[in-house]
Amino acid sequence: MTSEMITYICKRTVVSTKPAQAGKCNPLSVFDRLMEKNHIRIVYYFPSTRNGEPGVVTKKLRESLSHVLTCFPIVTGRLQKKDDGHWMIKCNDAGVRMVEARTQGSVEEWLKNVNRDKELMLVTWEDMFHKPYFWATFYVQLTEFEEGGLAIGFSCSHLLADPTSATMFVKAWADTTLAGTMLAPPFFHPLPPPRLGNKNPNHNPYTDLINHYKSTIDDRSPAFTNNITNYVTATLAFSGPMVQACMLDTSRPSPFEAMAGLLWVCVSKVKGMKQGLISMSICLDMRKQLGLDKGFFGNCLVYNKVHHAESLLDKSELSEAARAVGESVTKMNNERIMDLIEWLEHHDYEFPPLMNGHDLICANLEDLDPYATLFEEGFVPIRVSYYVEPVFGIGQILVLQSPPSEGPLSRMVMVTLPADELSKLCDDDLILRFNPTILMG
Amino acid sequence: MPQTLPDFSNSVKLKYVKLGYQYLVNHILYLLLVPIMVAILIEVLRLGPDEILNLWKSLHFDLVQILCSSFLIIFIATVYFMSKPRHVYLVDYACYKPPVTCRVPFATFMEHSRLILKNNPKSVEFQMRILERSGLGEETCLPPAIHYIPPTPTMEAARGEAELVIFSAMDSLLQKTGLKPKDIDILIVNCSLFSPTPSLSAMVINKYKLRSNIKSFNLSGMGCSAGLISIDLARDLLQVHPNSNAVVVSTEIITPNYYQGNERAMLLPNCLFRMGGAAILLSNRRRNRSRAKYRLVHVVRTHKGADDKAYRCVFEEEDKEGKVGISLSKDLMAIAGEALKSNITTIGPLVLPASEQLLFLMTLIGRKIFNPKWKPYIPDFKQAFEHFCIHAGGRAVIDELQKNLQLSAEQVEASRMTLHRFGNTSSSSLWYEMSYIEEKGRMKKGDRVWQIAFGSGFKCNSAVWKCNKTIKTTTDNPWSDCIDRYPVHIPEIVKL
Repeated sequence: MTSEMITYICKRTVVSTKPAQAGKCNPLSVFDRLMEKNHIRIVYYFPSTRNGEPGVVTKKLRESLSHVLTCFPIVTGRLQKKDDGHWMIKCNDAGVRMVEARTQGSVEEWLKNVNRDKELMLVTWEDMFHKPYFWATFYVQLTEFEEGGLAIGFSCSHLLADPTSATMFVKAWADTTLAGTMLAPPFFHPLPPPRLGNKNPNHNPYTDLINHYKSTIDDRSPAFTNNITNYVTATLAFSGPMVQACMLDTSRPSPFEAMAGLLWVCVSKVKGMKQGLISMSICLDMRKQLGLDKGFFGNCLVYNKVHHAESLLDKSELSEAARAVGESVTKMNNERIMDLIEWLEHHDYEFPPLMNGHDLICANLEDLDPYATLFEEGFVPIRVSYYVEPVFGIGQILVLQSPPSEGPLSRMVMVTLPADELSKLCDDDLILRFNPTILMG
Repeated sequence: MPQTLPDFSNSVKLKYVKLGYQYLVNHILYLLLVPIMVAILIEVLRLGPDEILNLWKSLHFDLVQILCSSFLIIFIATVYFMSKPRHVYLVDYACYKPPVTCRVPFATFMEHSRLILKNNPKSVEFQMRILERSGLGEETCLPPAIHYIPPTPTMEAARGEAELVIFSAMDSLLQKTGLKPKDIDILIVNCSLFSPTPSLSAMVINKYKLRSNIKSFNLSGMGCSAGLISIDLARDLLQVHPNSNAVVVSTEIITPNYYQGNERAMLLPNCLFRMGGAAILLSNRRRNRSRAKYRLVHVVRTHKGADDKAYRCVFEEEDKEGKVGISLSKDLMAIAGEALKSNITTIGPLVLPASEQLLFLMTLIGRKIFNPKWKPYIPDFKQAFEHFCIHAGGRAVIDELQKNLQLSAEQVEASRMTLHRFGNTSSSSLWYEMSYIEEKGRMKKGDRVWQIAFGSGFKCNSAVWKCNKTIKTTTDNPWSDCIDRYPVHIPEIVKL
């Protein structure tokens, strides 16, 4: 299995079935523009389907992709700069790039021996061209396993979509393949506008959140611009009862806060912090807080630094960490996010920041529901992996949903750290107390 | 360009004069015959019945004389009916509709062009300018092999495209006409640039299990006018073989001819040629007479190959890097104009009403004898035809012909809209245009249609059809899902 090679069959462009309305342009929101330096990669693993012949499934998926693209003109458009220097999407119907590949073995065998590098080979990605008008922002790779199974690699620029939107797009594609119609159509509209009038003169905008963004934008430290650290990713699966135990230990009502606290403490330990915790930011989806429909297509992830009390004398480190996370989560409410949006509208920056370039990032991707993505009746994905690239700084933790067979409370955590630290993490006592299954890494 | 006779022909008075003149000349026979018959009738009435009876009795009829005269009459009638050419009917035809997933929007085409020709930005710019002014729309289709980055024009892919296009068109035709494959007596396939062994006609015979004594022909290398050449061939064969069905398949296989070099003159076909094909059923069987759509009236073929410039104006050759492409010369339009003039001079006398021919003759005599400076008279072909199908070779071709023949926008609408929706599908474009006219509900019984096609060589071929019955709109044709959107306004330059 060590010499598995992926054979690339072809690369092409897939376009929508109906021409896009000519001349339509979509400006990007303030949240979109912040994410210029990042891109998302998702890998879906599907078990073998009834259709044994190679190429048949790929052809069917390609055709249904064409149909679904008709409803997503932003996905087939291209980036252009407006007159005010901000990005917008010109809906010129250029299409998404698709790569078709084949590899030996079956999907189950692959999953037994997979690691970060191998998984990333299942997703194609090209960095932004010098002339972005000719650069595809969405890429799809279909890899058929000769002995059964299919891997769908989906990548896109973070400028246009966050993991929620990306998952929604793939779900729409699956619905179209399965039934011919989408169950949840997308919404393309701008973020809620700033409130006009009715301003409380004593209103104090939440400065912590804004400060965090300000410092990230102003951070031009060269250490993060040519990163040569070798990052490795591990996928840890925590079963339902274990997550519940963690929630009880930390007395937090939410699995994310418990998991985030746990990982924070453990990562701090492997980084060599004897006292206190390393700098961490959480990243949450703010669609509900902003009153946006789940089908809102675009970026709606907000980062917030977690502040913790230094003294941990009488409380366990774990519950304090989880409590601090919970506090940060509660602080991210509608009013404060609206203030942030308003601040961002009025503050231009010359160079786009790297939102995940400094702190340890812990993102809550629990509600994405990727296992509902069925391309064929009854064929649930075996696994879905998420990557937010490139990873810089301390590292990244993504808290994801587990396959439905594991139960509603179970969680999968994808941790990206430098290689040596990650191996230490997997041997850490505190982590092992919750008995995670190491699926990758 | 030469104008019609006097400059003030827009004046209303002259219009009525012109109408009166046309009516007079076109119906001269009736106008002469009617007074003569009236005169005879008056004379007969004047004579009275008795006188007529006496006149009749005075004629002596011998038995031999009667027999000889009747034999003569029967003999002449038989010779006349036997030597009359068989009528060739177009029972029905089917055009290939490419799958929506093969669509190539402008942006995708330009992006691919950039990725493939990354070392030649000038060539990319050139292609972009051509595409902007081409008159094509965003729904034209290229075969799957050309969608790859880089394109993979293998022989297998070319065969795949041929099978896809030809078999789809044939299936559609068989279904529309209810024809059984065993009843096909003559098969003609024309595809200019792809000519494998065994031929495409053999491929059709193999797929549909046609009869072993079928007369099959495969025409290759004859350019965009090969469709009408095939129709001409079918017509000639149907004169020799009574009671027969002929199937003509016209297509152009794009896959092997995608030019991958940088020479500008050779990049033009890449921008214009698109996937398409048509299958046509012609018959000389009497029982098809009532259900046939059209009757073939004339086919006129003009070949300018004797002229060197005309011969070389569309030339397939290797560029400096050894890549094969079709080079289009700069005087293509001028040569096309010459070929058209030649074709018109031949077809004019066959189709034009007497009034136009007389005017043309008078102006010709006048120019030769009196004053060579007189402007030559361009006959008004709108009087001879109700519909025009001009091969959608490119916007320039249609513009040129519209100007030369002084056609209105509605008359060239079928050609322009076919170019917009399907691109230049080479020999089958005429059939897409016919389909457009039918689907717009404009084809009535007795309408005459003029199909004109140009091709490498340089050839100008035209066919004249007469509509046999008013054609109702259907749903199984390539325009069914978009006919309501047409006609569209096509801007001079589409900004990319």
